[in-house]
Amino acid sequence: MSDLVQRAVELCRELRNRGMTVTTAHAMDAVRALRSGSIDSRQRTYLALRCVLVGRPEEEEIFEEVFTAFFAKPPEESGHRGPVRVRRLPRQQAESTPALSSWGSSAEEERDGEGEPEEVPAASDRAALAKKDFSTFGAEELAEIQRLARRIARRLAARPSRRWKSGRRGPRVDLRRTIRRSLSNAAEPLELRFRRRKPRKTRIVAICDVSGSMDLYSRFLLQFLYALQGTVARVESFVFSTELRRVTELLRQPEYAEALQGLSEEVHDWSGGTRIGECLAAFNRDWLHLVDRRTVLVILSDGWDTGDPALLGAEMEVLRRRSRRLIWLNPLLGSPDYEPLTQGMQAALPHVSVFAPAHNLVALRALERHLLA
Amino acid sequence: MADPAIATSLHLALELRKPLLVEGHAGVGKTEIAKVLARLLGTDLIRLQCYEGLDASTALYEWNYARQLLHIRLQERDGHAGGDAEAKIFSEPFLLKRPLLQAIVHEGQAPVLLVDEIDRSDEEFEAFLLEVLSDFQVTVPEIGTISARERPHVILTSNRSRELSDALRRRCLYLWIDYPSFEKELSIVRRKVPGASEDLTTQIVGLVQRLRRAKLAKVPGVSETLDWASALVVLHASQLSPEVVTETLGCLVKDEADLRKLRVEIEAGRLPAGGP
Repeated sequence: MSDLVQRAVELCRELRNRGMTVTTAHAMDAVRALRSGSIDSRQRTYLALRCVLVGRPEEEEIFEEVFTAFFAKPPEESGHRGPVRVRRLPRQQAESTPALSSWGSSAEEERDGEGEPEEVPAASDRAALAKKDFSTFGAEELAEIQRLARRIARRLAARPSRRWKSGRRGPRVDLRRTIRRSLSNAAEPLELRFRRRKPRKTRIVAICDVSGSMDLYSRFLLQFLYALQGTVARVESFVFSTELRRVTELLRQPEYAEALQGLSEEVHDWSGGTRIGECLAAFNRDWLHLVDRRTVLVILSDGWDTGDPALLGAEMEVLRRRSRRLIWLNPLLGSPDYEPLTQGMQAALPHVSVFAPAHNLVALRALERHLLA
Repeated sequence: MADPAIATSLHLALELRKPLLVEGHAGVGKTEIAKVLARLLGTDLIRLQCYEGLDASTALYEWNYARQLLHIRLQERDGHAGGDAEAKIFSEPFLLKRPLLQAIVHEGQAPVLLVDEIDRSDEEFEAFLLEVLSDFQVTVPEIGTISARERPHVILTSNRSRELSDALRRRCLYLWIDYPSFEKELSIVRRKVPGASEDLTTQIVGLVQRLRRAKLAKVPGVSETLDWASALVVLHASQLSPEVVTETLGCLVKDEADLRKLRVEIEAGRLPAGGP
């Protein structure tokens, strides 16, 4: 095995350790690229490898770091050399995210058969809530959440587009399909085909607060997000506490338990403080391209913000102007005596088109009805 | 433009025969890359503009229904039996070739296939495209399988309005294009708008570069710079005065709130004064 191949493989392994998706095919391409001639300088090598190995702009920074470090040091000792291995990051210790890791296991045995929680839990009722924790949700409720998420997603997405869809029914005749079908009847159009407007595909971007003050609801809301993502194709999910993190890929798992496992491994600041303003600013800086006039933006947070309310207000305005609809679901709204008086909430409210509670199934049903109106 | 990153990427795309995915902000010249490549190779450029709802029949092929119908009617009038009509009307003259099929059946030197703004298409289309790009072979049920003699060179562009699938990213080489530096944009404007004086060009680029750093909702791209420079040349402006900037700002900034913000700046005398 030549030194070139060796080095390329080592570089790929290093990149993989840093979390980039680098497959064996990538490594082969890297070698082919380096052998293709005219890759004669360090800069050319850098550019060629970047072109082959990087897949998205966020990875460029990692690549530059790794590349610089890699070519600054001499080749590894031969004893360390080996075949390409996918080295997985060590599993996160359970104690770092106690809430999450216990969520993965189903808690049906704790259920007392009383169905969904009827009471509206208030922020001050934490002791009472602990007994009726959403973590005791069983498979049945999960199915219910899924059903509701699906209906809510459809409600958000239902809007006719300019494009047509062919079918047996509809307001207009589809001439093209009618003629195509008539060919089997000696070009006599015996059966009419119709067309109607295709529903417009709406994109949903959900940003969920998982800070300490949201602990009681995060699990429930994450299930909601998971279900939402499983229903509609175009959902992007983010979580934040002190830092914003895109979790769309993590939630895209066939099993909810797997999704939770991934979340607990990858997201490190669960139950931290809240910096909504900064996190929305980070969203607007890095991910605003995901929001357009067809996008419904859903923020799930209690609005407790320790940051600057003016910043939150400004970032909310940007979001409102970019998106089709800005929905804020606030679990605290479930409490009858809650009023959105926190400074952060005050700054955000003028930009919100729907402000609704989301703390249990009843609230979600209400939301569905609300969106219907 | 002899940008080493772009040159290396194109070189690799040709060498490894892989599609090149180009991402970057609107108006940084992503589409231009495909045009330059086609010109460089002296071959044809086939463009597939993506949009929401784009489907296989619009991208690949469709039967020419109107022509088929006409043919049937004519045959009827001439009293022909309908037996061989079907074979006839489902033959190549009745096939409307859309960009992907055009790229596949293209005669002679391999063409450049530009799949523009792939992020605007739906996920289903992305999956379909992956299939076509992997073997450049299409099956039309009535005719049979058609495969490409020469694999086209494929350039995909995306504005990142949606995250593309990992599967697609894995298949492609990748190039991110950022806004150009002051010097580079200067040379672009010089080349594309030769009518502008050196002084004016420097001022234009300086101001645009400043605006990109300001917090605008819609950041002006290189195409906006060029539009603006052309407009200023038509107006015979030799210097950027507050009046001229106010009149022509619409070429550069296309968002109402941004415009308002900048007008305030101009009235306060902070624009267009100040260096880059």
